[in-house]
Amino acid sequence: MKFVVFLFLILVAANVTADTTLRWWQFWTDPAIKPTIETIVDEFEQANPGINVELTDLTWANGHEKIVLSLASGTGPDVLELGSDWIAQFAANGHLADISSMIADDSSAFQGWSMADYDDKIYAFPWILGTRVLFANRELLTRAGYDPDFVPVTWDDLKQSAAAVSALGSGVYGWGSNAAEKHRLYKKFLPFFWSAQGQIFSDNGQHCVLASTYAIDALQTYKDLHDSSGYVANQRGIEDAFLEGKVGFVLSGDWLLKRIELEKHKIDLVSTLMPGPTFIGRSFMGGEFLAVTEASEQKEAAMKLIRFVTSPKNQVRFCKANRSANPSSIVAQTDEYFSSNIHLQTFIKQIPMSNHPPVDPDWVFIENIIEEAIEESLFESGGVAEPLRKARGKIAKLKSQ
Amino acid sequence: MKRSRLIGLLLLLPWLITFLVFWFFPLVFSLLAGFTDYSLLSRAGMEWIGWDNYRGLLADEDFHSALKNTFIFVIGSVPVTTVLALLMALLVSRRLPGRSLFRAGFFLPSITSMVVIALIFTNLYQRGGYVATLATMIGFVPPEHGFLYSSSTALYSIMAMDIWMSVGYYMLIFLAGLKAIPIELYEAARIQGASSTRQFFSITLPLLRPVALFIVVINSIKSFQVFVEIFVMTKGKFDTASMVYFIYDVGVTTAFQFGYASAAAYVLFLIVAAFAALQFLLLRRRQPIW
Amino acid sequence: MVTNRIHLVLRYVGLSAVLAVMVFPILWMFRVSLMPAGAAVGFGDLFSTGVTLTNFIDLFRQASIGRFLFNSVLVAVVVTVANAFFCFMVAYALARYRGLAGRIMFVTVIVVLMIPAHILIVPLYVLMLKMGMYDTYWALMLPWLVNPIGIFLVKQYLESIPPDMEDAARIDGAGELTILFRIVMPLCKPALAVLAIQVFFTNWNLFLFPYILTSSESLRTLPVALAHFQGHQAIDWQHLMAGSAVAVIPVLIAFGFLQRHIVSGITAGAVKQ
Repeated sequence: MKFVVFLFLILVAANVTADTTLRWWQFWTDPAIKPTIETIVDEFEQANPGINVELTDLTWANGHEKIVLSLASGTGPDVLELGSDWIAQFAANGHLADISSMIADDSSAFQGWSMADYDDKIYAFPWILGTRVLFANRELLTRAGYDPDFVPVTWDDLKQSAAAVSALGSGVYGWGSNAAEKHRLYKKFLPFFWSAQGQIFSDNGQHCVLASTYAIDALQTYKDLHDSSGYVANQRGIEDAFLEGKVGFVLSGDWLLKRIELEKHKIDLVSTLMPGPTFIGRSFMGGEFLAVTEASEQKEAAMKLIRFVTSPKNQVRFCKANRSANPSSIVAQTDEYFSSNIHLQTFIKQIPMSNHPPVDPDWVFIENIIEEAIEESLFESGGVAEPLRKARGKIAKLKSQ
Repeated sequence: MKRSRLIGLLLLLPWLITFLVFWFFPLVFSLLAGFTDYSLLSRAGMEWIGWDNYRGLLADEDFHSALKNTFIFVIGSVPVTTVLALLMALLVSRRLPGRSLFRAGFFLPSITSMVVIALIFTNLYQRGGYVATLATMIGFVPPEHGFLYSSSTALYSIMAMDIWMSVGYYMLIFLAGLKAIPIELYEAARIQGASSTRQFFSITLPLLRPVALFIVVINSIKSFQVFVEIFVMTKGKFDTASMVYFIYDVGVTTAFQFGYASAAAYVLFLIVAAFAALQFLLLRRRQPIW
Repeated sequence: MVTNRIHLVLRYVGLSAVLAVMVFPILWMFRVSLMPAGAAVGFGDLFSTGVTLTNFIDLFRQASIGRFLFNSVLVAVVVTVANAFFCFMVAYALARYRGLAGRIMFVTVIVVLMIPAHILIVPLYVLMLKMGMYDTYWALMLPWLVNPIGIFLVKQYLESIPPDMEDAARIDGAGELTILFRIVMPLCKPALAVLAIQVFFTNWNLFLFPYILTSSESLRTLPVALAHFQGHQAIDWQHLMAGSAVAVIPVLIAFGFLQRHIVSGITAGAVKQ
């Protein structure tokens, strides 16, 4: 009997203290990083008695279905991790809380706000940024007759050295060329496009200018690489081949460093900035953001959690565990962890020289149109200008609706 | 007679309950959603738009190519799978040392997860991979970038994998069907001097008809809904997008146009239903349809 | 006699060739799961690379894979046993009582099969929330207790068995339930074994529904857990294949257990001869 009373008291006590439950949905579930997320949550709960965090994991392949279903049925979480490309679509439909007024003092301490800025309001907090840099296999380059110090700076350097690696034959290719996937190919093409000063919309945002001569140049270069030295596969297949020493160059993100370390690959790796037409070019930037849902009844507490997770200290912990290269916190970026590793340094240097796609609720459709144009030019014999012109027409039609 | 009808209804209860509780609402909801502009992301609610979604599908090129790819998939893979499964069942149905080893081996692919199989075959089909090496050995020039990354081979490569994967399961059903044939029929035929070919065509094949009908109908329904392998291997690129891939893409991942996707799902339903009805008619001439 | 022997040899050669094609990718999976992480997986590497169990050890150490296995086994066994009984009952009613109700029911069975599950999952999710079953074992089991394919399979099988024995038993005054479970069910053993195998492995490999209808880690089945095990871009072949091998082995065991009922059916027929 005493035991029952005791149990009852505990239950009552628990009810009194844990008066707020925050639900946080996030994607980082692999064994390398999940424990760190759990530790951060535990520390948050200790620092904020009365707030309980309920962590739910999403998978990378099917996470969005779950998010959309929960938002549609009004059972979404309080805090939601979102890729930068999805913010505008969710914000435009009224599912994300406008946090502009709650972040005033943070605005200069973090990078990446422009990706969460829709209609002059901020809808998400930058957490971990992501860019793409050029990785090369030095051993293959040396075998192809290049100096060990060589890194491509211009498109011509890249094309020539990739072709030289391909000329080695016996199942070795110069360049990893993406196919058979969504949301990936455009991230490979846009660095070329931006390096050539291409734009998707005119400066006033009124017109689609996807088929400019700059764009045609960029796509032609991308197609040349694909035609002369491309190993075609999805992102993972390309990286598998690169890590097995079958591909000379890949444009990839920091997860490649994680794979090399955790899977114990032996590869003589070079990382360098994205080449441009005449000098170093520009790369692609995206990132993982934390948003508060509009339906949340605990927006203040949710922001507290977001601030805690994105604090410089916790960003560094996250990056160390996940081998991520680009914390959004400027203080975190100065941590010794990043300066002590030459490959992470490449990523830190690439960030200011990178663009992100327009923050547009229709971006997922625009992205798809662009990818179809690239695929048409790579895998069918329609040249490069015509597919781009068709894509421009489709985007213009989409925007006029 | 009254009593047995009551028992018949009682026996139907398990299905009646699960159907009414779990499937009736989803079916009706998606049927009605097909006539609205319901979008999963929109908070504005839904509006009745009549046949607009169906009209939209008529003009949608992506939908047309999904239809075409799906038909190629079904018409190509169902007959091949059925014939191969029957041949394999006949091969392993006779008494033969090591028979269960062969049976288990043939069946092995169909108990492995489709996601895993699709990942393995993505690797086997790649440029310079196992399949390309085999193809070269028999004098066939493999596509430049690998089998999955060319519009002329991608869909057929996925079909081949699908046949490979499912044939063992249908073999098993044929085996069960062969068991149901009374052995006395063969004895009688043998006494009358019928050759084994003759026995096959006048006893085995006709008596396998209900089982064959099941196999053809189920395999067609499943093939019309081909999805996972396309989702994992090509994401609908290189002319591989199927109907369900289209429905999934439009309805649940990219565009969230659930109303439009529901309309497409019901178009698919009508096609599959017509197909199945035809199969019932052709394979069950002697008996009433249901 | 000599031609017979040649026939036998030819048959074995043919069967072995088919067997090789059928099992090679699966053997590749097991082989890769035993390679050290980071090893290349080309044809030559299959023979030159060493063998290690570390991938399996990692799997069991890093994730609560015991719990996921338990969930998968629990769900698959409950659903399989329920299906064996329920599908048989429904199929028997559909095959032997050809009333209007039966026809309507059979149409519902087929309709549920023909509508793509990806459309049904959205309203089903809402339904589960409203019924309070979201994120419970109920959501993993209840919708699947009566599988339309199973009903159809057993119904077709029953139609190939003449109803003579039942009629004889009925004349002898046996009750309907006795006829059903004592006389007809044993006759359906081969079909029920096929059904059980089919239901077991379908449920064992089911991903999207369990993923959408639950969210707790403690309710994950193996396929859902394996999907969570994959990082942003970072799961290597070796660990993925080890996870897949862990998922295949229980189904293999279940198959070995159930296929005997198909085999025993066939030998029973042979004895009669």
